[in-house]
Order: sequence, then structure tokens, then C-alpha cells
Amino acid sequence: MNKLAVVITTPPYSNLIITALNYIEAALHSDIELIGVFFYQDGVLNANSKVQLASDEFQTIKRWQALHEQYHLPLHLCITAAEKRGMSDENDADNLIHPAFTISGLGELVELSTSADRLVQF
Amino acid sequence: MTTLHIVRQSAFTTSDFAQCLQTVKDSDCIVFTDDGCYNLTHPCIKQLSVQVELKAIIEHVNARAINLTNTKATTITMNELVALTFQTDRVITWQ
Amino acid sequence: MTLHQPNKSLALLNSKAPYANNAGKDALDIALVFGSFEQATALFFQGDGVYQLMQGQDGDIISVKDYLKTFSAFEFYDIEDVYVCQQSLIERGLASDFHIEQVQVLNQHDFASKLTTHSTILRF
Repeated sequence: MNKLAVVITTPPYSNLIITALNYIEAALHSDIELIGVFFYQDGVLNANSKVQLASDEFQTIKRWQALHEQYHLPLHLCITAAEKRGMSDENDADNLIHPAFTISGLGELVELSTSADRLVQF
Repeated sequence: MTTLHIVRQSAFTTSDFAQCLQTVKDSDCIVFTDDGCYNLTHPCIKQLSVQVELKAIIEHVNARAINLTNTKATTITMNELVALTFQTDRVITWQ
Repeated sequence: MTLHQPNKSLALLNSKAPYANNAGKDALDIALVFGSFEQATALFFQGDGVYQLMQGQDGDIISVKDYLKTFSAFEFYDIEDVYVCQQSLIERGLASDFHIEQVQVLNQHDFASKLTTHSTILRF
């Protein structure tokens, strides 16, 4: 089976992220194996559970969480990029990172890129 | 060996598409998504001297009321973009 | 787990000038990690990305941490392939005066050909 990995560098407040989510959902419904999503640069903000979107807007944050729950889609968060943006896993009290996301680093991107047949950036 | 180019920005705003055009080769496929769809009517698309397939995500074209009549582009769905990812040998996202 | 796959290689395509944002540093971090995992990695510079290679720059003057100095460590990470787009240099009136040695200037056709020998391409 063809293996796909996706790198997300687009923040949740950009409408471009909707395209990324639609692409990922299309891949999950196809005969392709989506082995994981890696969040880098401003893309890490997609893991911030405190992001508030108006209820009549596209619910980016909830959509990632739903994809993780429904398809067990691995969501890898570059922790260095996250910490730069005020998101840390060190203190439980102010941990903003949603539990659907796995704390990882660029070593995980190496593994995704070696395991996947295609790595696509959005 | 062909490349899938995903173009997401308008050439009226950024030079991403101009750089894509410097890189594109015969038999490649360019897919326009998001504001990249505006490039279908940008003068620089006439610089294309190689034989490439031009495609655009149908919802992204329709949402922007872009008329494809005088372009060489065809529309595709997101499912088709996923399939194209594996029909080509590599992907470059111009964003 | 073996990470070595001879048919796989990463190209990082740099398109941004060095000091206004972190794109170049973010790409560099990927290059160094892939290098330390012994993954074949190449760097390409196109558009404003070519400014990252120019001799005589100093981010310290404007309080930007100068990640460009790290480029001189590429050999320790086995990163040997650094390519710059000649067309982008010409458009900006730049001579081939770089702050690292192993830069290869390629014309538009050769730049495209070299870039597309890589199985994975990330652009920053």
C-alpha cells in the first residue's frame, strides 16, 4: 500500500489549513495509508487547545482532534517550534497542547520521511 | 520522472508561482489550490514553454468565480489530488 | 530500525531572505537533523533565498541571531550539495560571492534538474 506523510506549516487561523484538512481527509478515505502528520513552524498552533474560533467558523482545531480519534491518525508536534510559541508540556497546569498530539521533534520527521513514499507539505 | 507542483498563492501577490515556472519540466503537473487558482488568468502563465498538465481544485475555482473558459486548465477534486500525489514521483508545494 | 534508504533523499528549497523571518533557520534545523541521521540531504537556494548565501552579512547588527554562521558546519553533517539558482542571482545583481565554499551555481535548467532528482522536497 502507498504510504503518505504530511508536514503542516500553516497556522489554524489561515483559511489555507482547510485545504490541508480536506486533503488529509480525502487520503484517509482512499486506499492510501496516511502514516502521520508532522506539525512545524506556525503549524504547531493547530495543537493549541486554547485557540478559540467563533462557532460559525470552520472548526480547525476540533477537526484535527476528530481525525485523531476517528482514524487514530498520529499527530506529531515539533516541541521546539511549539515552545517558541508559548506551548509547553513541562507544567501540567498550563499545558496548552491537546492530548491528541504527540510531543516529538525533527527526528520524527526523519522517520516519517524514510517510511513514507510521499511527503507533502501544506 | 515527473513532479507534482501544488501552487497555493496568487502570483499577483508573491513570487512563488514565478519560481515554480522556473522549475517546472515537461510532463509535470501543476495543481492550483486556494489563491493559486488566480494564476490561471495571470499573464505569467503564458511563459510556460513546457508541456505540463494544468489542474485546479473545482471548489477553489468555483468559490472564487474564476472562469476557466480561456484557460488550458481542467478541474479536479481533492480525491484526484491525493491520487496525483502517487501518480507523480515527488511533490513540491509552492506556498 | 534502519533509517538508511539509498533511493531516498531530501531537498530543502530555500526561498526567503535570512533576517525578516525564521524560515531559513527552520530549514537549516531540518537539514542538520537529517544530516545527523545520515540521510542524504541537499540545500537549494532560489528567489530571495539566495541572500542567505551572500558574503559579508551580519545579523548581530540588527539583533538577529546569525544562524548563517552554522552553514560552515555542513561538512560535519555530510551535507555537501548546496545549489544556488543563477537566474535568481542575476535578477538581484549579485555576484557569486558566498560565505561558504561548496556552493554550486546552476542555470535554470540544471537547477530544476538537480532539484527534481530528490524524492522529497520541502520549501521554506
